[in-house]
Amino acid sequence: MFSNYIFYFLSALALYSSVMVLLSKKPIHSVLYLTLTFFAIGGHYILLNAQFLAIVHIIVYAGAIMVLFLFTVMLLNLNKEERSPKPIWVKAAAILAGIMLGLVLIGVFRGYDLRLIQHPMESQIGLVKELGKILYRDYMLPFEVSSILFLTAMVGAVLLGKKEQI
Amino acid sequence: MLIMRHELLLIAITVILLLVEIFLPGDKKSRVITLAILLMTAVLILGFVPGPSGTLFGGMYQTTALISMLKNILNIGALIVMIQSADWLRKPENKEKISEYYILLLSTLIGMQYMLSSGDFLMFYLGLELATIPLAALAAFERFKEKSAEAGVKFIFSSALSSGILLYGLSMIYGTTGTLYFAEVGPAFTGTPLQVLGFIFFFAGMAFKISLVPFHLWTADVYEGAPVNISSYLSVVSKGAAAFILTILLFTVFSKIALMWSNVLYIIIILTITMGNLFAIRQQNLKRFLAFSSIAQAGFILLGIIGQSQYGMTTVIYFVLVYIFSNLGAFGVVSIISNRTGCETINDYDGLYRTNPRLAMMMMLSLFSLAGIPPVAGFFGKFFLFAAAANHGLYILVLIAIINTIISLYYYLLVIKAMFLNRSDRPIPKFKSDFYTSLGLILCLAGIFAVGIASTIFEAINGLSFGLY
Amino acid sequence: MLIFKTILASAILLLSLVVAMYSTLIERKIAGFFQDRLGPNRAGPWGLLQPLADGIKLFFKEEFMPNTADKFLYILGPSLTMLIACLTSAVIPWGPDIVINGQVFSLQMADVNIGILYIFAIVSIGVYGIMIGGWASNNKYALLGAVRASSQMISYELAMSLSIITIVMMSGSLSMRDIVNQQQGFNWNIWYQPLGFIIFLICAFAETNRSPFDLPECETELVGGYHTEYSSMKLGFYLFSEYINMFISGAVMATLFLGGYHFPFIDKLGLSPNAFAFVSFLVLFAKITFFGFIFMWVRWTLPRFRYDQLMRLGWKALIPLAILNVLITGVVILLNQ
Repeated sequence: MFSNYIFYFLSALALYSSVMVLLSKKPIHSVLYLTLTFFAIGGHYILLNAQFLAIVHIIVYAGAIMVLFLFTVMLLNLNKEERSPKPIWVKAAAILAGIMLGLVLIGVFRGYDLRLIQHPMESQIGLVKELGKILYRDYMLPFEVSSILFLTAMVGAVLLGKKEQI
Repeated sequence: MLIMRHELLLIAITVILLLVEIFLPGDKKSRVITLAILLMTAVLILGFVPGPSGTLFGGMYQTTALISMLKNILNIGALIVMIQSADWLRKPENKEKISEYYILLLSTLIGMQYMLSSGDFLMFYLGLELATIPLAALAAFERFKEKSAEAGVKFIFSSALSSGILLYGLSMIYGTTGTLYFAEVGPAFTGTPLQVLGFIFFFAGMAFKISLVPFHLWTADVYEGAPVNISSYLSVVSKGAAAFILTILLFTVFSKIALMWSNVLYIIIILTITMGNLFAIRQQNLKRFLAFSSIAQAGFILLGIIGQSQYGMTTVIYFVLVYIFSNLGAFGVVSIISNRTGCETINDYDGLYRTNPRLAMMMMLSLFSLAGIPPVAGFFGKFFLFAAAANHGLYILVLIAIINTIISLYYYLLVIKAMFLNRSDRPIPKFKSDFYTSLGLILCLAGIFAVGIASTIFEAINGLSFGLY
Repeated sequence: MLIFKTILASAILLLSLVVAMYSTLIERKIAGFFQDRLGPNRAGPWGLLQPLADGIKLFFKEEFMPNTADKFLYILGPSLTMLIACLTSAVIPWGPDIVINGQVFSLQMADVNIGILYIFAIVSIGVYGIMIGGWASNNKYALLGAVRASSQMISYELAMSLSIITIVMMSGSLSMRDIVNQQQGFNWNIWYQPLGFIIFLICAFAETNRSPFDLPECETELVGGYHTEYSSMKLGFYLFSEYINMFISGAVMATLFLGGYHFPFIDKLGLSPNAFAFVSFLVLFAKITFFGFIFMWVRWTLPRFRYDQLMRLGWKALIPLAILNVLITGVVILLNQ
């Protein structure tokens, strides 16, 4: 029961801060709100008894990626909001498209009894030992392929970082 | 081991290239080109050796004779691109980045092959990402040219967006079926509204990768800004892989909603072919021109899918094979001329026949093949596609496609007219091609004719394909 | 149980604050010693009241806020730094279990099974306070300090994590308590992981922004770095949190590498459980003091790095060494199986 309240609190926090990411005038505020979103999601992981995922989520997203974001935004000193005003028809089209997508989503989810979807919840799955077993047994191939992905991403980064040859 | 032979071989040569890059002294870097091409040739040949089929890792990875053949087709395309880029890589400003180029190119190929071989959506997604992310780095290869950097950024943004949409769709499919394995999703996919929405998101993500209208907006800018060889790789190998896996998934996992997706395809085909063609007419830059032409070609590929039959799948594969040769031929000529002179507009090609008759002939044959003029292979490719759709009773669609083919003939002929009939005060100077350039073009030329004439190829593909009924 | 945890939490908090307070005095005394002068000796006997005087001074200074500053973030910066500095102590085992009225209490706030990762997480978000504060001041020096801090933190975090991975590999657990309990007596991890220890030590200097890695606040180039625009207690928070971080990182290093509260032969003394716990705690405290001394010793002996040297050391020396260390450890573990 108590965890229900925490769930609602965290969800509200995540929603609020992710909306604020879009609405903030200053890029720095957007980045900080995004960090807050990640913390809220990390909290959700803890609720699911997935402490390892929660902490890794925070280390990777809040601790590394968002710091880099912040670093870049600060370095570029994107202080002012520099957006060219969009023509009215673009705004109208965007609003219309958004409403239509919203209607479709509502329509789709309304007819769906979400309680029907029940997967057995394994409370131990998020613990590091279980996770390691699953990762190295069931998901061995995706795990290894993602290491190739990271390797090539690194090669790509090195390529883009090379100085110009004159 | 043997089941995963294609990927393992590619990974092996990628690692070899990585080690060579680390230990080779700086002044000998250009030898990597030959090494990479030789290694890739070996992989291509080994890939044709028949090997076992089966599944690995609890069904996450699967291969069949059909999938092996698709991988070989992709290998051919990649090899030709690798050969064609040799000339461009030798330029002094690219000399330091040769190994990176090949490593990234090969890793995208690895990604595509894992994508084709995937037995569940997780592997599919990983393969897709591995096939996409390095391409962004490659598109921005000439980072200090503004256009190239722009191409890289646009590509990574649009592909990140499309991956996001695709993942959202997959999450809905996972949520409603409770599994990610193709074999289990298929039976559980009954077509509830949520599943259909998931499918639509998934399809939109794939449409980005194949650049179907209305998800094509990134194509022209990226093709124009990226190095020519990367544009050709994007338009041929990358697109071909995505078309293959889309065909397979539509025919297996999403077979239960075939009625629905064929309606979606119907509209998208008309849009894609028409828009691609109409915009291609207006282009002056040849890279943009080929970009829009490749959008239109993607629409033609879908004609085979909408046929839903075994014959339809065969035509898709056959057409992509033909398309690899013809488009790489056209891009090959564009890349040579762009490297040597920096000219990229149609007007620059005025009088090309007088100075460089061979290149002009090559360009003409490639464009004929793209347009679908007999006796080159492109004619058969398109003819079979139309037949596949007509067999399914979609006569109006085929009629529209034929009208569009005639439109496309017009703009392909514009280029040919410029090369052969127009005169120019400053024609492109005559130059001699080196070994790799000629080899790349000769391979394309051989392909354009051989694939069209040798009916055994079509039979072989047909023997492995499958359809909905 | 809950009451005990509350008492323990307050005690640890108080302890770290007092230690941080007196570290400032000790630092100045040591500086004096190294520079052959006396150091502060006016307030109270041997200057013992000096930290109090400093605190009072900071409290009563004018609260100044730049006009162009981002008000909320300007205040958030130092507060966040202080908060995060105090959070780390939660997973450190301060001593063996104690027994009160037959009930066993653990001298550790939370024995989470991912204790090491928790420390990583806290360390990695520790930079936010500096970055936010530096940016919110709307001052070029402060911004440069903040940017330096973030790139330095990220660079050294990698080597730090890699050096700890070896410890995790050896102990097979991510829990701090397990790691301490495997270092009974003199069986300390430092004997098995000397390289890892050195890497970790260097990274700890960088992560706490202590000299020779104090580029974010390097006064010769950046006036005061990220806290240029801060005054009064907000400045005090920044300075104070640095000492808390020093204390906590000393505790982490003692726990991970020097056997935590273990020392040879103290379990042979035949003490009652509570006295044993107390002696063990003193042992841990002595180890922390030792690290504190090293921190100060280095600060007053070594010159500061140049920025490119700092980056080169992090990326081209420490990270490859740390990876090599992981590799060697892996091979040795595999061979011993």
